[in-house]
Formats: sequence, structure tokens, C-alpha cells
Amino acid sequence: MIYLQIVANGIVLGGLYACIAVGFSLVWGVLNVINILHGTFIVLGSYVAYFGYVRFGIHPFVSIVIAGAALYGLGYLLQAGIINRVIAAPVLITLTLTFGLDLILNNAILLAFTADYLSVTLAHPLPSLELGPVFLPGDRVAAMALAIVLTFLLQRLLRDSRIGRAIVAVRMDREAAALMGVDVKRINAVTFAVGAFMAGAAGALLSIIYPISPLNSQVFLGKAFVVCVLGGLGSVPGAIVGGLVLGVVESFCGYWFGAEHVVTLSFGLLLILLFVRPSGLLGRRGYG
Amino acid sequence: MFTTNPSLKAPSAVAAAGIIAVLMSGLASAQDSIKIGAPLPLTGPVSPEGLKQKRGYDLWADTANAKGGIKAGGKTYKVEIVYTDYASNTPRAVQSAERMITEDKVNFLFAPFGSGATKAASAIAEKYRVPMIAASASAAEIFDQGFKYIFSSLTGNDTVSVPIANLVTSKNKDINRVTILARNDLFPLAVAQEFEKAVKEKGLEVVASERYAIGTMDHSAAITQMRAARPDWFYASGYINDLMLIRRQMNDLGLRAPVITMLAGPAYTEFAKTVGPLAEGITTMSWWHPAVRYKGKDVFGSTEAFNAAWEKKYGGEADYVEASAAVDGAILQMAIEAADSIDPEKVRDAIAAIDAETFYGRVKFGPGGQINSLQPPVLQLIGGKPVILWPDSIKSGELKFLPK
Repeated sequence: MIYLQIVANGIVLGGLYACIAVGFSLVWGVLNVINILHGTFIVLGSYVAYFGYVRFGIHPFVSIVIAGAALYGLGYLLQAGIINRVIAAPVLITLTLTFGLDLILNNAILLAFTADYLSVTLAHPLPSLELGPVFLPGDRVAAMALAIVLTFLLQRLLRDSRIGRAIVAVRMDREAAALMGVDVKRINAVTFAVGAFMAGAAGALLSIIYPISPLNSQVFLGKAFVVCVLGGLGSVPGAIVGGLVLGVVESFCGYWFGAEHVVTLSFGLLLILLFVRPSGLLGRRGYG
Repeated sequence: MFTTNPSLKAPSAVAAAGIIAVLMSGLASAQDSIKIGAPLPLTGPVSPEGLKQKRGYDLWADTANAKGGIKAGGKTYKVEIVYTDYASNTPRAVQSAERMITEDKVNFLFAPFGSGATKAASAIAEKYRVPMIAASASAAEIFDQGFKYIFSSLTGNDTVSVPIANLVTSKNKDINRVTILARNDLFPLAVAQEFEKAVKEKGLEVVASERYAIGTMDHSAAITQMRAARPDWFYASGYINDLMLIRRQMNDLGLRAPVITMLAGPAYTEFAKTVGPLAEGITTMSWWHPAVRYKGKDVFGSTEAFNAAWEKKYGGEADYVEASAAVDGAILQMAIEAADSIDPEKVRDAIAAIDAETFYGRVKFGPGGQINSLQPPVLQLIGGKPVILWPDSIKSGELKFLPK
């Protein structure tokens, strides 16, 4: 019976991982930019939700939109103003640039909010659901469900909207897309901003689960890496599958081998997968 | 406008004389100050801890100077603390300590942050025979080196584990099954191992003992397993963020226990504020807590006076590292005054001989230089506020058991 609980734990955790990773995957897949800022974007989203809740009583689930929009703006400016200058350079250059920007942004957050942990303590927390022997934490399940809805909406955006098709076109062939009249620079900025939106939204969701501090950004980024590579860079469903696989694997590893080996085992899995299936579980060219 | 006006020359001569006078007085006061070197991690990963120590030292220096400085050998000295930033890099802490002695000519040293860097720097203090007092070093390995110049105001890790085991077992004989969840990291692991030893000696059964890695984002596997083990006592070690997450996930997954002990985190006001109602009834230990009440002969005079001075300068409450740093200054001051000299050897002997009440508790050092008179309090959070359960001399309430 305990295995049911472990599967449930893994799926709930995996949903959160998917939501951490999807924006990162989009930017990496489409722009070929490894966005080190992603973790800090998530943390910023959490701060937006925190202050929204504490100052104005806005529920963090409502803040998803506010945090997402705020990060969309920031992401657009950073991409159009700075990152676009080196967008065609090798991936190491953009990685170094986002790494530097991350140092600046993360330290700015440290200065503004200090490293003290903050936490959204809801006045009416969602109770745990007890299904026989299985406990499902209400807030995590709700966050996971919203994360999946968001990811689904992103998928629809890429499939059905003009801008989405343009993003996919740029992903498949930059030059050809430009010849077809796509404003590549603008699409680059929009893609990066959509990635930042997803990060901000994820941050708002996570604010009710994790203590908030700039120091978390590295942890989020590490998970995003593993999920992306597991799921494959070219696909939104890949982020969900990658997240769920990682969550369930970690959950079972923790139970069988002890919590201290979870990180080692999940990175070990990543190495094996890179060796046998470097494109990831659902990886393919063309996003969405 | 541009013609020379002789009357302007007089004020400028006065100004020049004034500048010289200021310079002279600067030189004079430099001679009459006691310089203490404090290499600290002011940047880098452990900088929050380094800044805590700095706040403690600064409060002491301000308080001592405001009360007229330190008197010794018929002179009055101002306190001057020389800081360097070793950027959380231990080899640089050692270099900084050495340079402070040889270049900056400091009279005394405050140790860097943590047991590791303190142990490394203690060799420098020993080599140059300069007394060094540590605010955040508790590992026994520092004090069994046979060194004479290192002192620490934190007791060993067993003193924040054994008293709670004694207290809980004396209050309730039905507490038998213990689960331990420890962060796999120097201090949290060491303290959890001390705890495991202590409860086993009391005849309790450790039914599950797990370690989690640094940066763990999910404790559900360990908590699920521990729920199945039906503990009477759940113990977790880690830092405040880990413990906040663990407490929430315990609630999410329905893990309950009559006693929940967490170290180190619930002693900080931040914990009760962020965990909310889930903080209720959690027990913890801390080397020092602003809720303790001691009267002392040190420069602060009492815990209340120290708390008030802290509130005035920084707002909020000091934690144990901050208080420990402040008491290090107070100890040094008492030793200088007792020795009636700033000679490092004499002051060293005076520190070794000290036995005094302070705002921090009683201060007396063992042969290796580690404080052995301090009784770290056992605390329980009731209504968001810490209640002191032990030691009896400062007790403010009785242990309450949580519903199973």
C-alpha cells in the first residue's frame, strides 16, 4: 500500500518539476539559449506572489497571471536589449551572458529582499485529501493541476496562434522563417519573454510550497536542466513527461535507497539517458 | 574679487592648525586603542553568517566605547575592530589572520566563521601567541589540539542534544519510537548523531534514521516511510528552509508525533512567522536565545539590556551567533580589565581564568579553551512564542505533548 503513496508523491512532485522546466525548455529549444536566469526568474515570480498576498491579499493562484506578466516584460526587455546582440553566437557565449545577468539580478534580489526565507502562509490552506491510505497534499495537487493547465495553454499557443507558428518556424529554420516574412528579432524576444512568463507563473505556484529566497534559484535551475534533457528539448509534452519521470524516480529512489542518494541517482539517470537516448524521451526538432 | 585679502589668511592658518591638531589627536587616539582583528566571510556563500558575527562585534564595540572604553594599566583604550573579508574561502581566512597580526599589528583576534575556518586559523593564533575567541565554533577537534590561545563561546554539539533527550524521557515514559531525519552536512549531521546517541542511551528505539542531501526539494519519500514507522518522537536537523519544508510536508502527508524536535531553526522568530500554526509545539535547542534571563558583570549587564541595545541598533532580536559574537567582545573586555594590561600573554591567562556571569549565561572555559559553563536552553514554541523548558533556573513553562 505504501507504494501507492510513493507513486502519488512522485506524480505530484513531477508536476511541479514540469512547471519549473517548461519555460527553460522552450527558450533552449527555440533560441538555443541556455537561460541561466531561469531559476532567478522563478524566484522573482515567487516574490511577486508573496508581496501580492501579504500586501494586497491576492491569492498566489491569481498572482500567476500578474507574476507571469511582470516577468514577460522583464524577459522581453532583457532579450531585446541585451541578449539579442549575441543571439547568433555559439551557445557558450549566450550561456556566459545569461550567467552574468543572473549574477547581477540574483544579487540585486539579495540586496532588495535579503537572503531571509519568506513564506506564503495561506489563511485558508487547502487540506490534504485522504484517499484511503494515500494522502494527497491539497496545495501541491492544485499547483500541479494549474501547472499542467498552463503547459497545455502554452502548447495551444504554439500550435494554434500566428505567433506560436512563427516561434516554431524560427525554431525549425531561422533563415527560411525570415524569408517568409517572420520578424525573427521580435519572435526571439517574444519567445524569451514567454519562457520568462512561464518561470514567473511557476514561481507564483511554488510560493505556497517552498520557502522563498534568492538562494533557491540554483536548485530550480538544476531541476530544469535534468527535466529538459530527460524529456527532450523539442517538446512541451516532453517537459511534462520529463518532470513526471524525474518525480517518480526520485520518489522511489528516496524510498528504496534513502533520501541522501536521490540527487546522485537522478543525475545518474540523466547520464545514462544522455548516453542511450541523447534526444530525450520525446525530443524532436520543431517545438510543439 | 580676486585681490588678496590679508584677513582671509588668518582663518586659513587657524584651519591648518586645526587640521594638524586633528591629525595629532588621531595619532594619539590610535595609540590608545585596542585593535582586534576579525577576519570574516563578508561575501560568498556563508556571508549571512559572517555579517551576523560582525553585528555582534560592532554592538559590543559601540557599547564599550560609549561607556568610556576599556581601562587597563592606568590608561583608557577605545575599541577598534579591524575587519577583512575572506570571501568564504578558508585558506584566505588563515592568511587574513596572519596579516592582521604581522601588518595591522592587532592586539587580539576574533575567529572566522564556523568550526572549519576557526580550527585552521587557531594555528596562527598559537604561532604568534595572540588570544583568539570564536563565536561560531563548536567542534571538539578544535579544542583537543593542545592549543593555549583559542577560546570558544559555544559548547560541544552534545550539549544541544542530550538535555532534550533527558527532559522528554523524564516527562513521559511512553515515548519510545524515534525517527531521525538529518541533513547530510557538517553541523546538522553531527548534531543529529549526538541526538541519536543520546536517545539510545535513554533506552529509546530509533525506528528510522534518514539523511537528506543539501538542496533537497522534496522530503515525501522519507516522511512516507517515517509515517509507516509510527514515531512517538520525530527529530529533524537542518537549516531553517529545510525545516520549514519538512514541517509542511509532514502535515501534507499526515505524519504526526507527540514530540517534534527540529534543530536549528525554530529558535529564530522567522520560523514561527513563516510556518504559522504548524510551528505550534515544536521543540528545539539553541546555544542562546533572547528569551533567557541572566544578569551579568559584563558591559551589557543583563539579557534584557542586551536585547534592548540590539533592538535599538538593528531592530528585532539577536540569534545565538550574534549574541555569541557580542559576548566574545565582553569576555575580552573583562579579561583585559582583570589582567590590567593589554599584553597578549596576560590577557590570555585572564581569559583562561575567567568565571563570570554575563548576559549570555555563565562564562568559564575548559582546559582546551571551549566554554563549559553554558547550559543551552530547551525551547518549545507555544502560540508562536518560545517557552523555556530547561534549564530550571530560567524555565518559563512545562513541556506540552502534541496530539498523536
